[in-house]
Amino acid sequence: MPRPAVVLLALLLVVVPALLWLAGNPYAARLAQLVLLTVILAVALNLLTGTAGMLALDTVVYFGFGAYAAALLSLNYGTSFLVELVLAGAAAALAGWCVGVALVRLASIFFAVATMGLAISFHATVLNWGELTRGPMGVRGIPGFRIGEWNLEGWAGTYYVTALVCLACVWVAHRLTHSFYGNAVRAAREDEEVARALGLAPRRLKAQVYAVHAAMMAVAGVLYAHSNRFIGPDNFVLLESALVLTAVVVGGLGSVAGAALGAAILVLVPEALRGVGHLRGLAFGAILFASILLLPRGLLSEVRTLAWMRRALAAGGWGRAGRRR
Amino acid sequence: MDAFILNQLAIGASVGMTYAVVAIGFTLIYRVLTAVNFAHGEVYTLGAFATLIGAATFKLPLWAVVPLVVATGALAGWGIERAAFRPFRRYADEASLKSRAVREATLLSSLALGIVAREALDIAFKGEWLAIPQDYLLNQPVRLGPVGVSSGELVIGGASLALLAALQWMLMRTRTGVAIRAVAANLVGAQLSGIDINRVVVAVFAVGSVLGALAGMVVSLAYGSVQSYMGLTVVIKAFVAMVIGGLTSLPGAVAAGVLIGVAESVAGIFVPSAWTEMVAYVLLIFTLLFMPRGLFRWGGA
Repeated sequence: MPRPAVVLLALLLVVVPALLWLAGNPYAARLAQLVLLTVILAVALNLLTGTAGMLALDTVVYFGFGAYAAALLSLNYGTSFLVELVLAGAAAALAGWCVGVALVRLASIFFAVATMGLAISFHATVLNWGELTRGPMGVRGIPGFRIGEWNLEGWAGTYYVTALVCLACVWVAHRLTHSFYGNAVRAAREDEEVARALGLAPRRLKAQVYAVHAAMMAVAGVLYAHSNRFIGPDNFVLLESALVLTAVVVGGLGSVAGAALGAAILVLVPEALRGVGHLRGLAFGAILFASILLLPRGLLSEVRTLAWMRRALAAGGWGRAGRRR
Repeated sequence: MDAFILNQLAIGASVGMTYAVVAIGFTLIYRVLTAVNFAHGEVYTLGAFATLIGAATFKLPLWAVVPLVVATGALAGWGIERAAFRPFRRYADEASLKSRAVREATLLSSLALGIVAREALDIAFKGEWLAIPQDYLLNQPVRLGPVGVSSGELVIGGASLALLAALQWMLMRTRTGVAIRAVAANLVGAQLSGIDINRVVVAVFAVGSVLGALAGMVVSLAYGSVQSYMGLTVVIKAFVAMVIGGLTSLPGAVAAGVLIGVAESVAGIFVPSAWTEMVAYVLLIFTLLFMPRGLFRWGGA
């Protein structure tokens, strides 16, 4: 049996693009790219909310930060998206570290509300700081993906850029989750006192996870700005945070594969409902409610994924990750 | 002090009173269940919409709108408890009732219920700002010495004070109120003396939601318009008031609510009004970080 990693690479880099090419439908390609973008967000939030157990509603802050950074840098200074990925990712990691150090002291519900406040403040800032963000008009005419003279603006280029970044993020999340580091973070989630007694620094671990999650969200934001070509304050409202949270809860808190699955469901189901009218928000709410009530562990629960992953690692199925411990 | 600043203070205090009334719904629920009802803002919105429907569609007189709003609030509170909180209360002991898993599950379920309610209203009313009919509005100017306010702001202040007094009477003088205080003080002890926890929880949700709905009603009458997202910012400020007031203290929540309202309107003197939204969050973050037990209780967490 081939390694799961090989299957995943083949699926995302060969099978899906081939199907999209055969379908010849730009809408399907856009949808596939949107799924991959949401997978980045869900995997990042899953690190924070699932693995580290901090219920956050500030997805749009870092996502929006990345998107606005990309839009304004490329329009004002003509930077390449590669530079922006590095800059926005690093800046968000730094900001996330500072915010994280302060916020991880808050117990569950207070952390959730503080991040909700951050999300609403971010929206208000983007809306009102007109000189920088062009206010409610949004930023138009953002260039597509380009490396020097190499034009990646078509659907295939956009798809491959997103797929490669997405794979990189999933790989990082996988290595952080399925490792001793992941065990330490899970210990900090379950009981800070016990973790401290074991010689871990639970708050530092949580702040680190917060910083990593912020960087991933900002990276997704850069990709979003360049693929959507337009961003406005309405792209970064609290409901979008709730969307990503729903994806993580539906997929299974703490499970990387679950987060990816949840993201795919949460993008594709409302698309299927698009004909019925303006039901997107209602669908998210209903899915979240049904999921927390009927499937509180999600579709792929953390325990099952971890057990599966442990077997795969023991069998050496994940290559170096398995043998090196 | 000149009249302008006094005016701002009066407006801030009246807005703050609505935060206080909404915050009390939060605080009551937190005291009994240590859980937060994220659908509370939608109760406020529902109260405002009930006012709109009573006034614009059925053309009821104002005194008849009040029972409609009260009924809407009580029904909404009962529904939220039934749908988002009861399914997670599987065991009756204190450890599992107040466990982290239950708290986070109910946080998510009430958040989801809130989203469903908000989006359903948004679809039903097309997301527009809807006007309350002119003759119901409370916007006659009133002069109090150097201060000129509108009658709506006076009514908000007066109604909030009356509601707080009524609540205090209910908690102190009625059987239900005593049961609520008993459960809040000692859950196991209350159960042992024969108090039905489920009934008390329903009562708490109903009372808190009636207060929230009435706050939505007076605000919609004072400012004249209603929209499906109007509860969102109020509920967060009410939550901030609860935290600043020390989580379980009703007087603390009221004082903190007024403080936030006044701080916002004073900030409005110095910065553009769009930015005053942020005042509450700044207050929240500072309180959480430096005074985690609330402004009115000193010491560590």
